[in-house]
Amino acid sequence: MLELFLFVGLPYAATIVCIVGTVRRFKYDRYGITTLSSQFLEGKKMLWGSAPWHIGILTVFLGHFVAFLVPGVWQRLMAIPSLLTIAETLGMAASLICLVGLIVLIFRRATTARLQKTTKLADFIVALLLLGQIALGLMIAGGFRWGASWSTGTLAPYIWSLITLGPDISVIRDMPVIIQAHIVGAWLIVFIFPFTRLIHMITVPIHYLMRSPQKVVWTNPRRNASAVVARADQNSRRHFIKASLGLSAAGLLLSVGVLDKLGRFFQMPGLHHDEEADLLETRLRRLQLTAEEKQLELERLRSNEIYVSKLSDLNGSTGKYFIDYAMRPGLAFRSEDGWPMLLSAKCTHLGCTVGNQVDANGKILCPCHVSYFDVKTGLPNEGAPAKAPLDRIAWIVRDEQGAEIATESSRGSRTGRIDPQMAEYYSLYIVRSLSAEA
Amino acid sequence: MKRSFVASTFDFLSSRLPIEKLSFKHMVTEKDVPVHRMSWGYYVGGLALFFFIIQVVTGLMLLFYYEPTVSEAHESVEYITHFVTMGALVRNLHAWSASFMIFCVITHMLTSLAMKAFAKPREITWIAGVLLLLVTFGFGFTGYLLPWNQIAVNATKVGLASIDQVGQYLPAALSHLAEDVRVTIQGAPAIGQATLSRFFALHVVILPLLVLGVIGLHLLSVQLHGMSPGIEEKPVRKEKFFPFFILKDFKEWGIAFLVVFVLALCLPFDSLFPYPLLEPYNALGSTPDGIKPEWYFYFVYYPMELLPFWIIIVVMTTANLGLFAAPWIFKGASHKFMRWIASAIAAYLIIMTLFGESIYHAIKG
Amino acid sequence: MVKFVFIVALVFIGNCFAYPEFQRFSQENSGRPINCAMCHVNGDGPEGASRGQIGSLTPVELNRLNAARGAFAPGMPVESPILNAFGNNIIRKIGKTKFLELRAHPEQLAEAYGFQSDLDEDGIPDAQEYLDGTNPLNRSHGNPWKLFVHNLNQYKLHIFLIILATVAGFYGLSNLLHGFAIQAESHEARN
Repeated sequence: MLELFLFVGLPYAATIVCIVGTVRRFKYDRYGITTLSSQFLEGKKMLWGSAPWHIGILTVFLGHFVAFLVPGVWQRLMAIPSLLTIAETLGMAASLICLVGLIVLIFRRATTARLQKTTKLADFIVALLLLGQIALGLMIAGGFRWGASWSTGTLAPYIWSLITLGPDISVIRDMPVIIQAHIVGAWLIVFIFPFTRLIHMITVPIHYLMRSPQKVVWTNPRRNASAVVARADQNSRRHFIKASLGLSAAGLLLSVGVLDKLGRFFQMPGLHHDEEADLLETRLRRLQLTAEEKQLELERLRSNEIYVSKLSDLNGSTGKYFIDYAMRPGLAFRSEDGWPMLLSAKCTHLGCTVGNQVDANGKILCPCHVSYFDVKTGLPNEGAPAKAPLDRIAWIVRDEQGAEIATESSRGSRTGRIDPQMAEYYSLYIVRSLSAEA
Repeated sequence: MKRSFVASTFDFLSSRLPIEKLSFKHMVTEKDVPVHRMSWGYYVGGLALFFFIIQVVTGLMLLFYYEPTVSEAHESVEYITHFVTMGALVRNLHAWSASFMIFCVITHMLTSLAMKAFAKPREITWIAGVLLLLVTFGFGFTGYLLPWNQIAVNATKVGLASIDQVGQYLPAALSHLAEDVRVTIQGAPAIGQATLSRFFALHVVILPLLVLGVIGLHLLSVQLHGMSPGIEEKPVRKEKFFPFFILKDFKEWGIAFLVVFVLALCLPFDSLFPYPLLEPYNALGSTPDGIKPEWYFYFVYYPMELLPFWIIIVVMTTANLGLFAAPWIFKGASHKFMRWIASAIAAYLIIMTLFGESIYHAIKG
Repeated sequence: MVKFVFIVALVFIGNCFAYPEFQRFSQENSGRPINCAMCHVNGDGPEGASRGQIGSLTPVELNRLNAARGAFAPGMPVESPILNAFGNNIIRKIGKTKFLELRAHPEQLAEAYGFQSDLDEDGIPDAQEYLDGTNPLNRSHGNPWKLFVHNLNQYKLHIFLIILATVAGFYGLSNLLHGFAIQAESHEARN
């Protein structure tokens, strides 16, 4: 029963009282809608109290308002951990700031004699309610962390159920007492709203920020004159305030974005061990390939002859690739007379690897810039991008016993004689001692 | 009376680097920027600087993961792209912003040419600028190799092989010189680990140091002399460099960052290439189709494929010397003439970059 | 020593496509050069002794290869060691029989495979990547425009936030400029 009263009766009563009271005051006491400024009674402490209080409470209020107004959007935003952290930090900081401001204001009231004359009972009630409400809010923020996120699923539906006239208190019935107290406190503030200086809120004095500053002072002619001069000079102030608002919003958003990405970039990526294994496998394979390449290179540095193929495995239509002494690809063919033909497969134009298929004209093609090379001479076709012929590669043919049968140097001079019938017993080697480099 | 060489050198330097103007008051508070129909050109250099800053930041980040060895380079780049959180974003930022930076640097060069910004006493600013242009191309060339994939290594191979071709025009006794130069740059007869190490050192340490030094000189002399007038007529009005011009500069930077960020986030640079080109380089395998340099080298690459090589050498040498000597060659030229020259160069660059490939195919069939 | 020459020689065989019809079609349809790595493990095709080529397979892998070769009907488990995830998925989905039939109509492969599967989760279905000549197994590879649109949609929030930041920054800078302008004006007026 008490719950129903506090969470359903009180809200509706408070809202009705608030609306009716505000309308009445607008009608009958228009000029009473005021903050009851006491700046002219005491100015210094006022600045240190009023400014933080308003900055803090507006931030906190805005946070609550947005979360209740568009809980769906808010929840999606709060699902991003860094944004949630920021919202919580910002909220706590703002609460602390307004708490400090409020304490300064209360202290000011309590210690300034001329103020006490203008202070009414309502002011004390307002101050105490606000103080309690902020303290409760901070306790909730500290004790039940991540309220920016969980409130969208609990408190927002409650508020919306009230607005849509289908009150549903099931979610808040079992909530901790301090949260319930915070809710009741909020309704109490709504309740007393029209009877206190809180009513100045509805004038939404945002333009205070932008306009040139006004001071509540005792007027006299000298002050009037200087105010006019000052006003002209401070006309740009509202632009600077707007500028600092815009720039700090941009700075905040950008630094959040950049820091978030920067932080995650340097974090160790949490890989599944399967992924980790795949990665390692790829890396290992690359290392093996490099090792094989180095092995080939070493072999070419150490030995004077390197095996290419059995002579009988070669033919005139499809070349066999091998690696020559300069670690470049080479191609081995065998002409009709049974002699091997060894050419460098590195295009003399820009170094692409030449293809190994001999076409009907007895030519092989470099696919990169379309040069055709004659297999017999190595010469490129007329007008090809490549100008120089493919290098000849020196070779030696040995029989099964390792005896020298025939050779050709890289300049094309041949020795020995090849019997095509014996090709099956002959092996082809490239040889360093007959190369141009040697 | 003829003045001594030392005295005239001293005069030259003192009027080009007026140290007496080296004060906050002169360089910041009192600096004016003329406002006229071409004053948009004043912003391009700042934009290039902004992209350079992005390059430094993202480059340093990539450096945390990249491994400059033949066997690891490709894998480490893949690791950055696919496994490091936000790694793809950082890498793409680096790639996109590199292209934007080169675009801005070239545009900056052209607008400065059109505004005759090299005229006395701004010769040193101009020469430093030309150096920066060349260094920027150096960044592009060396950075292209680092991912060690097919297109990277093969395009570098093609680029370096063009040095060899100079050899055929040298007298017989010197004909090996060109190849020696190439091998020295490569660090080995064939492109391999030595080349990667050299390009890495250039890209990551030497060129950045060079840029820092030259940019310092460039900016210092810009601030000392102020913006060049840009046009012959009197400007409509002038605005203060600080705070007005610099704030507008920041606005442009904001737009630039938005564009480059959205691009980097949504359009991987790799998707612009055929995927076989992105496989790790295989020294012993065949070369895949479609090898070509980055777009900012098209203006020299396609003519090189089409024309006899000696024409390229002559034109490139003339163009480079011409750029350095512009302040003296065009000493008496009118602004109108300079605008005409700059537009002609711009037209050539645009046509070659956009249609170079079509022209190449149209001619080669 | 002989072994190394053997390996290298086989690497060079290259360009041995098991089913070149599909490659040719994809290449002509998209205008992008592609290679065997779209469906095979090795970019140079299945023949040879390098990784993912028949010459390098262990007995266990050879069994898997044979099982895959016998998957004539759709829906059979296929884990061929010479095919990559996309290649295996093709055989799994449409079966070897249908696949062999499609050699005469490589343009129908996309339709037969269907546009539901997206192995690299880049927002472009595998079949579409086959038509576009892009890598169906690389998140950062695809038709640039389609990839851009998909990512734009995926990173909406980030993009919204940076636009917000830019707008706020612009608002701030514009007001700062305004403020300075007014200040400069009144400064001049007073002097």
